[in-house]
Amino acid sequence: MSLTRMFKILRKDLALGPRSPIFLWAIILPFALTLILQVAFGSLFAAKPRMAVVDEGASEITASLRKMDGIELTVLDTPEELKKQVKANDVDAGLVLPRGFDDAVRSGEKPLLELYIGGESLSSNRLILSVTTLDLVREVEGTAPPVDVRIENFGNEGLPVSVRLVPVIMMYALFIAGAFVPSSSLVEEKENGTLSALLVSPVKASEVLVAKALLGTILAFVMAFMTLVLNNALGGQPLVLVLVIVWASAFSAVLGIVIGTAAKDSASMFTLVKGSGIFLFAPVAFYLFPEWPQWIAKLFPTFWAIDPIWQVAVLGKGLDAVWVDLVVSLGIALALVPVIGVLSRRMQRVLVAE
Amino acid sequence: MTEAAIKVEDITYAYGDLLAVKGISFEVQPGEILGFLGPNGAGKSTTIKMLTGQVAPKGGRAQILGADITLDDPDIQARIGVCFEEKNLYLAMSAKENLDFFASLYGIKDPDSLEILRRVGLADRAKDRVKTYSKGMRQRMMISRAFINKPDVLFLDEPTDGLDPVTSASIRATIKEEAARGAAVLLTTHDMFEADELSDRVAFINDGVIVAIDTPENLKLKYGKRSVKIRLRNGSGVREETVALDTPQSGELLKEVVGSGEVLTIHTEEATLEDIFIQMTGRGLVG
Repeated sequence: MSLTRMFKILRKDLALGPRSPIFLWAIILPFALTLILQVAFGSLFAAKPRMAVVDEGASEITASLRKMDGIELTVLDTPEELKKQVKANDVDAGLVLPRGFDDAVRSGEKPLLELYIGGESLSSNRLILSVTTLDLVREVEGTAPPVDVRIENFGNEGLPVSVRLVPVIMMYALFIAGAFVPSSSLVEEKENGTLSALLVSPVKASEVLVAKALLGTILAFVMAFMTLVLNNALGGQPLVLVLVIVWASAFSAVLGIVIGTAAKDSASMFTLVKGSGIFLFAPVAFYLFPEWPQWIAKLFPTFWAIDPIWQVAVLGKGLDAVWVDLVVSLGIALALVPVIGVLSRRMQRVLVAE
Repeated sequence: MTEAAIKVEDITYAYGDLLAVKGISFEVQPGEILGFLGPNGAGKSTTIKMLTGQVAPKGGRAQILGADITLDDPDIQARIGVCFEEKNLYLAMSAKENLDFFASLYGIKDPDSLEILRRVGLADRAKDRVKTYSKGMRQRMMISRAFINKPDVLFLDEPTDGLDPVTSASIRATIKEEAARGAAVLLTTHDMFEADELSDRVAFINDGVIVAIDTPENLKLKYGKRSVKIRLRNGSGVREETVALDTPQSGELLKEVVGSGEVLTIHTEEATLEDIFIQMTGRGLVG
């Protein structure tokens, strides 16, 4: 096998990629899905509650608000400016803290606190800012809350839906770019006859297949990594994350080569992709519904490629938690190599017979 | 004696139960053009597919440049050029990009793609994407791609099929140049004029079997029937007589016809390769 020829084919495919609708679709789809899901579930574009403060006496409340990550604080000079900004919906609420406010609270004077609420602000933001303000006043006063609060969770404990959707987007990023792009590229070469032209040159079929697999691996890696960045799910171990993404990308590319060698033409490739789609994507449903029996997900080959990414990127685990997954997926990929060999020989026979 | 560039001994190939090539043997010397003449489905393209390593023969053996074709040797593949009947070019790439890419697969560092395109009259469209090319331009592009590695053996499968006479003539001239350079050329065609004009020898292939192989002249002499066509004035009209030249009575008959009226024209006629093919196989070259 010649690495030089392989890279020449890969370079050609990368150069032709932007001229292919499927290649462009593979790039756009994960971004579009991320955007749609984040808008729907609110994590990417959910703005923090915005509070404006006029502090005439260096109150502890202002200092505490500054330390809160969940609130966007603006300190203004005059109550007039504050009211103007609240009315204009530049902030959700405005608080005027008069000189000596903290001392008055501590001495039990019950001073007047002016809180202005924007009529167009979200109810959730109003509630957050009101409750936060009262809590901070109580802190200044130095008294304990008058009640004990027992918190009870309903529904799924743990990760929010927006996070559990990350594997769905990852599957699209990995398998559209990693499997669909190389398989469609191979099928296109078959349909246009260019594969025959390659095979009468010094190029071997194995070099073409490896080049296509590399194309899928590179594209899937870039798309998967970018998707995780967009979803703010990079975990805490960048090297392990890169390893598991590279591996999942290569795994999806191997599946792509199986589909590409098995499919005679575009129609049969789309049939194969549609037919195997449920089988490929089934594992991600188990992340969405953690109450389902999770062992069922392990029956699907793609689980072993996607789960390491979930473990490392989302749950922040390390190599020790995913090595079994990696070994199983390696075993599956190795088992597919002879299948690809058989399909490749059949593919060449079909090419000749046409 | 020079070693044959292509040496084929009793090779066979079958598509399932259908035996497409039934034990054919032939040789092509360096600088020689062998025309493979036969109708569609005769086994011409299958023979090329075997010799170019696209498929392994079911039986027999064949050598290209001294190497067994079943070895799938990249060094040998690097010395052959193939022009397919199907126009299998990268349509989204320009002509120059196509040639440069294939040159790189052959390990050619600085390919003179523009010069090759100039030879086939495409230099001024070198940077245009192939999908904007006409059928004739794509065929010229196919020929130029087959030449990119200055091959020692050229396989040309119907290189002028469906082209206009001017483009066909241009492509034939280029093929002759390659043979003159020393390339062994195996040319498949069902165009008798092309085979006659280009080939040093022709092989008639029918139903997977070579029924005759020789120079066009020898085939015509051996199997053809020569005749003379005479047009005479006949009152206010014209009549036409044909006299066969290969019978003992030919001289007497010719004298009699010529003396029977005012001769307007006399033409000698010889059998075409198609006539001979039909005579030998009972079927035509087309279809």
